Amino acid sequence: MSDIADTHGGQVHHPGAATYLIIAAFLVVLTAMEITVFYVHALRPVLVPVLIVLAAAKFALVAMFYMHLKYDGWLLTGVFVFPLMMAGILLLALILLFAYLSNHMAPIG
Amino acid sequence: MAAQPKPLPVHQPSYLEGGGIVGWLTTIDHKRVAVMYLASALFFMAFGGLEAMAIRVQLWHPDNHALSAATYNAFFTMHGTTMIFLVVMPLLLGFLGNFLIPLQIGARDVAFPRLNALSFWLALVAGILLHLGWIRGGLPDAGWFGYANLTERYFTPGLAIDWWVVGLLVSGTSTVLTGLNFLTTIIAMRAPGMTYMRMPMFIWSLLVTSILILIAFPALTIGLIFLLFDRFFDTHFYVASAGATPILWQHLFWLFGHPEVYIMALPAFGIISEVIPTFSRKPLFGYPMMAYSICLIAFLSYGVWGHHMFATGMGPVADSAFAITSMLIAIPTGVKVFSWIATVWGGSLRMTTAFYFALGMILEFTIGGLSGIMHASAPIDLQQTDSYFVVAHFHYVLFGGAMFAILSAFYYWWPKITGRMLGERIGKWHFWLTVVGFNVTFFPMHIVGMWGMPRRTYTYGADMGWTHLNQLETVGAFILGIAFLLFYINIFKSLIGGERAPADPWDGRSLEWSTPSPPPAYNFATIPQIRGRDAWWILKYGRAGSRGVAAYMSGQTPTLSQAAQPVDVEHIHMPAPSIFPLVMSLGVGTMGLGLIIDWYRIVIIGAVVVVLSIIGMGFEYADFGQESHDPEHAPSSGGIDVRKIGIWSFIGSECVFFASLISTFIVYKSRSVTGPGPEILNIPLTSFSTFILLMSSLLMVLALAATQRGDKRWERIWLGGTVLFGLIFLCGQVYEFTSFMHEGMGLTTNLFSQSFFVLVGFHGAHVAIGVLWLSVLLVAAMTGNLGKSRALSVELAGLYWHFVDVVWIIIFTLVYLMQAVPGA
Repeated sequence: MSDIADTHGGQVHHPGAATYLIIAAFLVVLTAMEITVFYVHALRPVLVPVLIVLAAAKFALVAMFYMHLKYDGWLLTGVFVFPLMMAGILLLALILLFAYLSNHMAPIG
Repeated sequence: MAAQPKPLPVHQPSYLEGGGIVGWLTTIDHKRVAVMYLASALFFMAFGGLEAMAIRVQLWHPDNHALSAATYNAFFTMHGTTMIFLVVMPLLLGFLGNFLIPLQIGARDVAFPRLNALSFWLALVAGILLHLGWIRGGLPDAGWFGYANLTERYFTPGLAIDWWVVGLLVSGTSTVLTGLNFLTTIIAMRAPGMTYMRMPMFIWSLLVTSILILIAFPALTIGLIFLLFDRFFDTHFYVASAGATPILWQHLFWLFGHPEVYIMALPAFGIISEVIPTFSRKPLFGYPMMAYSICLIAFLSYGVWGHHMFATGMGPVADSAFAITSMLIAIPTGVKVFSWIATVWGGSLRMTTAFYFALGMILEFTIGGLSGIMHASAPIDLQQTDSYFVVAHFHYVLFGGAMFAILSAFYYWWPKITGRMLGERIGKWHFWLTVVGFNVTFFPMHIVGMWGMPRRTYTYGADMGWTHLNQLETVGAFILGIAFLLFYINIFKSLIGGERAPADPWDGRSLEWSTPSPPPAYNFATIPQIRGRDAWWILKYGRAGSRGVAAYMSGQTPTLSQAAQPVDVEHIHMPAPSIFPLVMSLGVGTMGLGLIIDWYRIVIIGAVVVVLSIIGMGFEYADFGQESHDPEHAPSSGGIDVRKIGIWSFIGSECVFFASLISTFIVYKSRSVTGPGPEILNIPLTSFSTFILLMSSLLMVLALAATQRGDKRWERIWLGGTVLFGLIFLCGQVYEFTSFMHEGMGLTTNLFSQSFFVLVGFHGAHVAIGVLWLSVLLVAAMTGNLGKSRALSVELAGLYWHFVDVVWIIIFTLVYLMQAVPGA
């Protein structure tokens, strides 16, 4: 069976079942790695960066292959990635702003 | 193949004709929807204006008691809320945006006509909810900014703030749907040949505004949801004694609030960029820089919210960053002002009322912009915060900028919308009274603000020395009131017997002037082929510039009516009217009403109506889920279906929604003063749930692949599997929540529990919606109503499902696996 399924009148090609299964295998392995990292105390010092990289990899795999951004062209990628980027800026900014606030506010009670 | 716009048959019923009351209630025509926005906005503008005059009466002299302090608070709250959410935004987006986008880009309607009607009805429901306090519970009275923790039930008991919270949530939903619709329309439905750099500048402004709506409004939605939980379910998102901080509200509110200023300003810039070239008879100066400036303003506007919060003490680094971005935004804004002036310079000016208001906008908005730059400097801002100087500033921006532009737009496009001219003589009176009234009202506020008069003050002492300037401001407000009375009279006179408007009364430049006034329901008999910027101008005169104008004016160049060739319009199929938008809005309103009056059966009835309406809309048209193949109008999005762009836009907006929830969880998870913390989380259970959800995504893409190849058996199996896995995930979540309850951690236990339950609960609600959506598709598949031709239905549901999956990937990592990492 061909790994590439022809859709939308031949304009856009989506991957076939084999690719989807390979991606699923990657997702399972990456999730298993995340859980392992969580339980291995020796990895605690690098817990945050490792988990962020693994989660980003899973996120990208689903978005690119299951949501077909890899195949659907720049327009949809732009419609998704720009708000995603702004959401990331928001997340980071709020965490940093409240970190400053926490370090400079009077103790509760 | 697309062709030049051909003149229409002699008798063409306009969009205003026919249908009766039912026709209007069920309309999905963008022009009729625009007119309904206009009617509601004019109604609410009268309300907001009268509230403003009452405020000025109260401040007429010291120690006045014309209004009680409570009424004064309610009036300035409702004045701000009404003018922003029910007047300026509906006029710019709902009215002008709706009417003009399809006409200016050469389309027959917006991308999602029913969603468009739903946006209007939701906006109307929001307006009604916001004003129901007149009948029961009192008007909202915590300011349009609703600062926490004044809005908590402890400080403001009663229903007033409840109306405000629910009303704004409904209004925000309406606006996000509008943004999604406009963005998709502009991306996908431009006429052949209309590249991005050939779009009218008003369309550019609405394109960027739509993006801004999608990324700004979710922050307000989250802030309001937290407040709603605080007021209805006894959480403490903004209660300092529970370890929370009211500053969270300020961040979420201004994350929305400052982009909101540009959501109102950018369309105003677009209007001016249309009016000035027409009446200067010159192309817009510096078109590319004007387009890039809009983009840059929007981008920077998302990073300046902190300048509203200098007084909260964000620290020198944050203050500096917000000061720099706030100052930078003056550069692209300045580019626009200079480009408008350069367009006027050397032009062959026609001094119409529309042009007067456009010139007035440039002057008044520039004054507001200059005082805005002062606020970008933290030390100066600290002197001006909460003073009348700020009131002066934002009225120069929002009235001098947005409202002047709206009034210019009224005089410019009214003939196209109604088929009748507005009176120019009365219009000039309207303009000069507006200019005088506006400046007499608001300019002295700079001075009393610098003298120390605080804003939102109910009265002041005679010894403060503010009396004479306050009296001057009140006189100005009444002059402004007379000006608006003239405006309403002008509208009324025009409607009952105004001069008939020709198709192109101003010798316009963009496509809407190629249609009759008012246009037919289908806008264009044939979709035009665009050959450059100022598409209609080029079609009229070619690229001959002023020589073309001379030929046209002397009658040597045939007008379209002279070259009339009857066109068969019978083949044009417009989407059928739908009752579902109205019914769904009534369902939403019923839910809101039931929530506020604490009658949960009503909420359930409303929810059932909403769900049934959504399903009804999904199957209303026989061609649901099929790719659109309009032979005349190939999508300008490179073949991508509008529904796919729409769902991606929605997903983009949802990114900001979940980012706001996740950041709140991270900030709050370690700040609880009592009760359990993240250590209570069950990693083995959620690891299993994570595997289940990931595998459901696999089943989902397999279902799509089966549908696309017409394999009905596997289509059902994979869809059923996805639904089953979704249900297993939900069961796991119910089990997790229940076990937490048994261990003593409920929603209101502490900051950790409430931010956890709200974040994970909202994700669960998304999963539940996805399960419902997929179940409906499964039923359609089992009854033979899906199949290869409707693969798009499965693809859209799949995109939503995968997004729910990727959000869980982030939640699983940040909430569960990083539980031992302290928050901010």
